Amino acid sequence: MRKSCLGENLTAFLFISPFLAIFVLFLGYPLIYSFYLSLNKVTTLVDVFNNLTFVGLDNFKTLFHDGLFGWSLLMTLYYAGLIVPLGIASSLLLAVLLNNKLKFHSLFRTAFFLPYVLDLFVVGIVWTFIYSPHFGILNRILEALNIRYFSEQGFLGNPLTAMPAVVLVNVLKGAGFGMVLYLAALQNIPQSIYESAEVDGAGWWQKLTKITIPLLRPVTLFMVIVGVVAALNAFVEIYAMTSGGPSVNIGGKAYGATWVTGYYLFDTFYVRLKLGYAAAMSYVLLAIAVCVSLINIRILRPKTEY
Amino acid sequence: MILLYVALTFAAFVVLFPFIWMIITAFKQPGTEFSSQILPSKPTLENFKRVFTEFGFVRYFLNSTIVAVSSGVLATLLASLAAYAFTFKNFVFKEKMYGLIIASMMVPGLMYVVPQFAIINKLGWMNTYRAMIVPHLANVFGLFLLRQYMGTIPKSLIDAAKMDGANDLQIYGRIVIPLSLPIVATLFLLTFQFHWSNFLWQLIVTNKENLYTVPVGLAMFKQQHEELYTLKMAASAVSIVPISLIFVFAQRYFIEGITRGAVKE
Repeated sequence: MRKSCLGENLTAFLFISPFLAIFVLFLGYPLIYSFYLSLNKVTTLVDVFNNLTFVGLDNFKTLFHDGLFGWSLLMTLYYAGLIVPLGIASSLLLAVLLNNKLKFHSLFRTAFFLPYVLDLFVVGIVWTFIYSPHFGILNRILEALNIRYFSEQGFLGNPLTAMPAVVLVNVLKGAGFGMVLYLAALQNIPQSIYESAEVDGAGWWQKLTKITIPLLRPVTLFMVIVGVVAALNAFVEIYAMTSGGPSVNIGGKAYGATWVTGYYLFDTFYVRLKLGYAAAMSYVLLAIAVCVSLINIRILRPKTEY
Repeated sequence: MILLYVALTFAAFVVLFPFIWMIITAFKQPGTEFSSQILPSKPTLENFKRVFTEFGFVRYFLNSTIVAVSSGVLATLLASLAAYAFTFKNFVFKEKMYGLIIASMMVPGLMYVVPQFAIINKLGWMNTYRAMIVPHLANVFGLFLLRQYMGTIPKSLIDAAKMDGANDLQIYGRIVIPLSLPIVATLFLLTFQFHWSNFLWQLIVTNKENLYTVPVGLAMFKQQHEELYTLKMAASAVSIVPISLIFVFAQRYFIEGITRGAVKE
């Protein structure tokens, strides 16, 4: 009995070990090492391990007083505040439209879902071209409608419109993802509920707001999380389209209109080579992500049954 | 009803517009990308030709293919082996270990970039395929998907095979994997897609042109030739062809993976 138990453990371990080895070395250990890095000053990309100077909590103290970091958190919040409602609205709209008996149903679904699997960097490059000032296609369309607001700076060069323009790219790219989830949930709602509502004289608007939207709540909450995570990880789209700019002048200091924390982290690490400081920043991101996950679990747990 | 089709067609146009515009521009003569004509007056293949002959995109494609295929195969293999043990074996700390692994999904991806870079550096792996592939081989989401799926395989099947004297490796290879093929395919495709478009990581672990993947090559090209719009659009168009093709034929596997993944939340 003992021997077979040992054998069982051993075989199981052999099956897990390749996965576990990679997990420990590249996902587990980095989290701990990153914390250690955040307590050090590092100013090189070569041989990081041997070029550390211990500075205690200095990086976190600096971070606390770093106006640019505070700004980046604000911009991340702004990003999230735009992508969450827009993402939910666009996904839900597509799902409700598609949830009908249609010819070409799968053709439409493919069209909406395709952008989701494509490369964000490439999509960013194409949109930068579309958003160009003067002769960019979007500005030319608007000029034909006599809107000349975007002629000089385009959409990405204007501090007021840069962030919405960047977020719109991600919303249009990701709408198919949410749509698929909403469609699956919509198809799970029993038809009988609608039928009895109709008997009670409910119109389509009442059916939508009183039955459909409440029953889609779990998917909607999931979409909130997806949006917040997208804001925390926002980097590629910023790198491709705005590099954190255009600059805004507030009280004599220059800030970037799309300077989100993810981009600041990259800039600190890869451009200014302050690895310890970047690691400290990433711990703030982690703290936010954990809080969001905990809130999510709290809200979701008791109410998922339907 | 007609209104519905109009709305759907309009929505599809909006969502696909960037790709339509990219392809149209890619066929325009260089220098005419901002002219007032919508369609190219003299369509040309020149841009595509130059992308492959004057710039290193053939090599970038080769690199992307090597990285995405080997990552896809290896990550799927590792996750399926681990999922087999988590589903069908009993061992110490099983659920604790699983919980810890799954909890790591909360961590924002950007968090890993700095320490992983330091480790790759320490291992002397800079500018190698290894650096691009190995750090992402423990696919936690994949482990979750596979364990969930393997849980639906009847235990009696496994027991019967054991009675016939099959060992774990045989059960894994001859029973569990064949029965899990749809989800294995899903995982392979999702990993392939992730690595084909992975940008930040491939950017920081390579600085030699012969190791650039497609997105990194595109970024460098964009930096050096900001004004060559028609070429940029041609290169962009070509870079999304593989994923688009795979997607059109294997769409249901992508959708399967995404809906299953969201259900857990």
